[in-house]
Amino acid sequence: MMLFRTINLVTCLASVLLLTTCKRPFSDRAQDLSVFRFSENGAPVTMDPVQSATQYANLMTTSIYDQLYEYKYLARPYELKPRLAEAMPEVSEDGLTYTYRIKKGILYADNECFPAGKGREVTANDFIYSMRRLFDPKARSQGAWLWQGKIKGLDEWKEEGADYSKPIEGLRALDDYTIQIILNKPFPQLTYTFAMGFSSVTPREAVEHYGKEFGLNPVGSGPYKLKSFSTKKAILVRNENYREEIFSLEEEGYDPKTQSGFGLERLEGKKLPIMDTTEVYFMEESMTRWNSLNKGTEIHFGGIPTELTHMVAEELNPLVLKAKYAEKFTAMNLPDLGTVYLYLNMSDPKIGHHSDPEQNRRNLLLRKAISAAYDWPQRSRRFYNGTAALFPGTIPPGLDGYDEAFTPEMTEPDYEKAKAYLKEGGWNADNLPVLDYNGTASVQNKQMYEQFRGWMEKIGYPRKKIPYVPFATFGDFNKAVKQRNCTLIGMAWGLDYPDAENVLQLFYGPNGSPGSNSSNFNDPTYNEMFEKSVVMQPGPERTEIYKKLNQIIIDDVPAVCGISRNTPFIWHKNVVFLPSRNPHGSLFKYALVFDESDDQ
Amino acid sequence: MSEENISTGRDSLWSKSRRKLMRDRAGVAAMIVVGAYGLIAILVYLGLIGENWSTLGEEGFGGMSSEHWFGTNINGQDIFSRAIQGIKTAFEVGLVVAVTATAIGGILGAIAGYFHRTIVDEVIMWLYGCIDAIPFYLFVAAVAFSLKGTDLQPWGMHIAMIATFWSSTCRIVRGEVIKIRGLEYIQAAKAVGVGPLTIVRRHVMPNTTHILLVQSTIAFVGAIKSEVILTFLGLGVVDGVSWGTMLSESTSDVLRGHFGNFLGASGFLFVLVISFNMFADALQDALDPKKVSS
Amino acid sequence: METLQFALRKLLYSIPLLFGVTFISFFLMVYHGPDLTYTILGKNPTPEQIAEVHRDLGYDQPFLKRYFLFLKEIITFDFGSSISSGEKVSSILKKSVPVSFMVALPAFILSNALGIILALYAANHRGKKNDKIIMVMAAGGMSVSFLMVVIAFQIMFCTSYGLVDWFPVQGWISPPPNYPDATTGEILYYYWYYYWSHVTVPTLASVFVALGYNTRFFRAVIVEELNKDYVRTARAYGVSNRKIMIKHVLKNAMIPISTRIIITIPFVIIAGNLVVEKFFGIPGVGLVTYDAITNGDLPIVKAVVTSTAVLYVIALILTDIVYKMIDPRTSYNQ
Repeated sequence: MMLFRTINLVTCLASVLLLTTCKRPFSDRAQDLSVFRFSENGAPVTMDPVQSATQYANLMTTSIYDQLYEYKYLARPYELKPRLAEAMPEVSEDGLTYTYRIKKGILYADNECFPAGKGREVTANDFIYSMRRLFDPKARSQGAWLWQGKIKGLDEWKEEGADYSKPIEGLRALDDYTIQIILNKPFPQLTYTFAMGFSSVTPREAVEHYGKEFGLNPVGSGPYKLKSFSTKKAILVRNENYREEIFSLEEEGYDPKTQSGFGLERLEGKKLPIMDTTEVYFMEESMTRWNSLNKGTEIHFGGIPTELTHMVAEELNPLVLKAKYAEKFTAMNLPDLGTVYLYLNMSDPKIGHHSDPEQNRRNLLLRKAISAAYDWPQRSRRFYNGTAALFPGTIPPGLDGYDEAFTPEMTEPDYEKAKAYLKEGGWNADNLPVLDYNGTASVQNKQMYEQFRGWMEKIGYPRKKIPYVPFATFGDFNKAVKQRNCTLIGMAWGLDYPDAENVLQLFYGPNGSPGSNSSNFNDPTYNEMFEKSVVMQPGPERTEIYKKLNQIIIDDVPAVCGISRNTPFIWHKNVVFLPSRNPHGSLFKYALVFDESDDQ
Repeated sequence: MSEENISTGRDSLWSKSRRKLMRDRAGVAAMIVVGAYGLIAILVYLGLIGENWSTLGEEGFGGMSSEHWFGTNINGQDIFSRAIQGIKTAFEVGLVVAVTATAIGGILGAIAGYFHRTIVDEVIMWLYGCIDAIPFYLFVAAVAFSLKGTDLQPWGMHIAMIATFWSSTCRIVRGEVIKIRGLEYIQAAKAVGVGPLTIVRRHVMPNTTHILLVQSTIAFVGAIKSEVILTFLGLGVVDGVSWGTMLSESTSDVLRGHFGNFLGASGFLFVLVISFNMFADALQDALDPKKVSS
Repeated sequence: METLQFALRKLLYSIPLLFGVTFISFFLMVYHGPDLTYTILGKNPTPEQIAEVHRDLGYDQPFLKRYFLFLKEIITFDFGSSISSGEKVSSILKKSVPVSFMVALPAFILSNALGIILALYAANHRGKKNDKIIMVMAAGGMSVSFLMVVIAFQIMFCTSYGLVDWFPVQGWISPPPNYPDATTGEILYYYWYYYWSHVTVPTLASVFVALGYNTRFFRAVIVEELNKDYVRTARAYGVSNRKIMIKHVLKNAMIPISTRIIITIPFVIIAGNLVVEKFFGIPGVGLVTYDAITNGDLPIVKAVVTSTAVLYVIALILTDIVYKMIDPRTSYNQ
């Protein structure tokens, strides 16, 4: 009977537990209105600007540091506006010399690295220093590639040992407030790159004072300064030295037609940053994030886990919440500024470029067959809630160069056509090559792989000839890709700036691995046209070339594309905030948490 | 257990055990279930059943129907066929690991036991001491990663399990051999001048067979269960389907309210493991010399 | 004093073991471990940068030199900082070890205590109906996969499909909100509340799985003890069953039982329960180490493996001491 006593004991314990857990801690308190609690689905490892490659890091560095420019809060598609800079740059006739003037009297946040702990004025030399640091091998920069070979003398400076006392011809401070940049060749996207966290204006004192731990002790002139940081949570507090900045709907590009439902009107005339404190929670587990959001007293802003969308949302595209949730939350689908690919490794003679023209032709037909059988709409339905934007080619809608004639229907699969391609190339179950499918080892990747293999089976590809070769981490996978060891590569690319050049360079031959051209596509026509386009200022002529380049990608299939994901974000009703995507940073200063009871 | 029993009457021990095993009704039932699983595994291996496990369906997450007994998964694939494929994978993992690990453990254990109190024994004890001191999952993860990029990569999980599972067999066999080697007939063989390795091979190891048999059933079950966890951690079965992959998928399925993967995989897994455990128990009882005499 | 000498001698003997453990883990995890270069360098590295980082991380050094550097770190117990975040390894462990410990503790206590109680009961009634029921249940518990239990318990206790929807699916206590006027009591209650809301389901699952093994093992040990002659003799002298069970049988059975318990402690403290932590998203040391292995963050891996090995050796010595303390002969001859 001891058994029953034990059971009794357990139930007793359970009920005691239950009793004590009836009341949620702090549930009787009014919501704390002085703090905005934001959440992300990943954590930055460091806040060193030169390593801020992830969106998590970029969001932090753009809040703590000043860049020369930033994106308007509300304008879509993205538009630049001056931040530390006085105005847009003066560009010489030949497009090679840029002059940037910065605001006067901007102070760094107070920090022990400065004399007497008082933040000093930001000068043009700080910007020069920060750019040099991007090219300093000791800093382990992840962003240097953006300017590689572009600024006169900068690459040579690095090769000669990165000596900060040596001058650089193309990177100079004419006086304390004027920066002059001379380019090797025109680079119309230059100003965009100065809105990225990479180009944050960093004081040399801080880098030298904190040494290795500089990444955890950022010192900038942005609206916030870092109070504390862990891999779970960062606390940002107002930088008392921050300049006078007043919010204006008009200047931020407010569009009443699409943005009226978010309460943004409340922000008009407010001094930035609006909230004294912003807490950023890093929550990798989507369920944790959702629970925390739902408690009401914890985070204000989060995402809807894919598993729960059917429970939370009435409609997915556009996102409409069920009544129970609509009372508490505002939500929107945020399109990704980027695309998802299946790269086909063109340096692999089984499927890519081949010296034998006949084999080259057959490989092209094989690639076309794979592309024709690829069912993007099904991929979107099963893995992205059916809300992803579908389009042929590599340029996502909304960017210069996207062909308005494209429709999502063009990404529907056509198995008959695929089979015809295979037949035309003389491919059959016996002579089709074995194609490794590569990616990181996750349940979802495996499911996507099985889906892909299923499509291939439909066009007669033997199951065994598409093996799954996963990698434990993204680092491992990336290494194999950079060493050209992968065949079918499922990857995504987030844009660094809203210009199609950033996705078109993914297929430029000289950018082959270990560069960003993971498909190692190397086509002379493409390369030549691309080289022509990169030095051109925006205009109809460049748009035409972009369209042609995009068409080459579609016809030659170095990658099966494309799709742009949508992520459902959700936040409390008493919060005014509009989420945005990398590279759009510096969002926290606009967030507002208000008292709903004041509204009656 | 008398000395004659070991030196002369091996057959009688075996036939006695067989009779005992046959009298154990639960044991026999368990054996039949395991046999049925084995049969399915062979049929799947030959490609006779469960072949449509990779075919995509029109819509994902289909319910149970006469066509799909356990419904379909996110890709519209038939969960029942996948569970059947899982049997094949489980037997493959189980057999490879159980046979190799017990063989290695048996041989090293016999050697260590025979050369008790010599450097050989010390080295082998040291070896399994080291293995035991490293947390299992971390060890497996490490083995799996160190094999990345080599031809052995798909076998990373098997190798890691073998490298850890042999130690318990080794320990038990070593203990038994230490007992055996003091017996007269071994001493006699030694006196006649039979070489030590021959003694180990011909006289010592055959007397540990009952331990190896039981140990291999335990290793078999251990391997199947570890596979599930390792696959969940992303270290297990790479290609094909296993119950581990199905359970990993089910972790997000159940939050959406779809239980097909979970029920399919765990049902098959539970029945096999409990049968195997019961079978192992029955085997142990039947082979236990202490019980033979009682 | 005698015990101390004994412990020191044992410690000396365990040096080769430590050496072996560090060598194996070095060989597998460090030398053949993942390459962090590409994670550090981001999406567009140049070959020169790759070579630079390789040099920086010491990947280009010869095998033995790297091993000796590792040994040096072990002896000074200074593993430096995490490669990816720059955070000190000691501070990473300081944060994650207590979390793992707190998660594992209730399950550890419950599964052992309940296991002993059930085993005593079953052994005392061996061969009878209740014994059989307990043993069948134990066999059932042994036959489920931990993953199955975790998923099933999650459905039952954490989702609207199950019995009750009381507990969060994943997560760990987040720092309490910054109310300036919060009393200590409120903050303590906050921790207490979220501790149990995150730890209950993992505990139930762990106990469910471990209980079968423990009960079976403990029962076997106790039954073996009951079959010994001294028990029969004691019975013959009319010593009460209760007294025999508690004073003699349990006391003698404590040797294998405590050995088993003590040996698992290092793994509870350091290694954490990887599956629980990964499934329930708990930032314990198991997860941290696993991530470190997969990311190639070697300083963390080295520190965790070394500490586990050291604790394991200490546990081994401890069991020997316990063994000496509860010597069966002395206890019966008193």
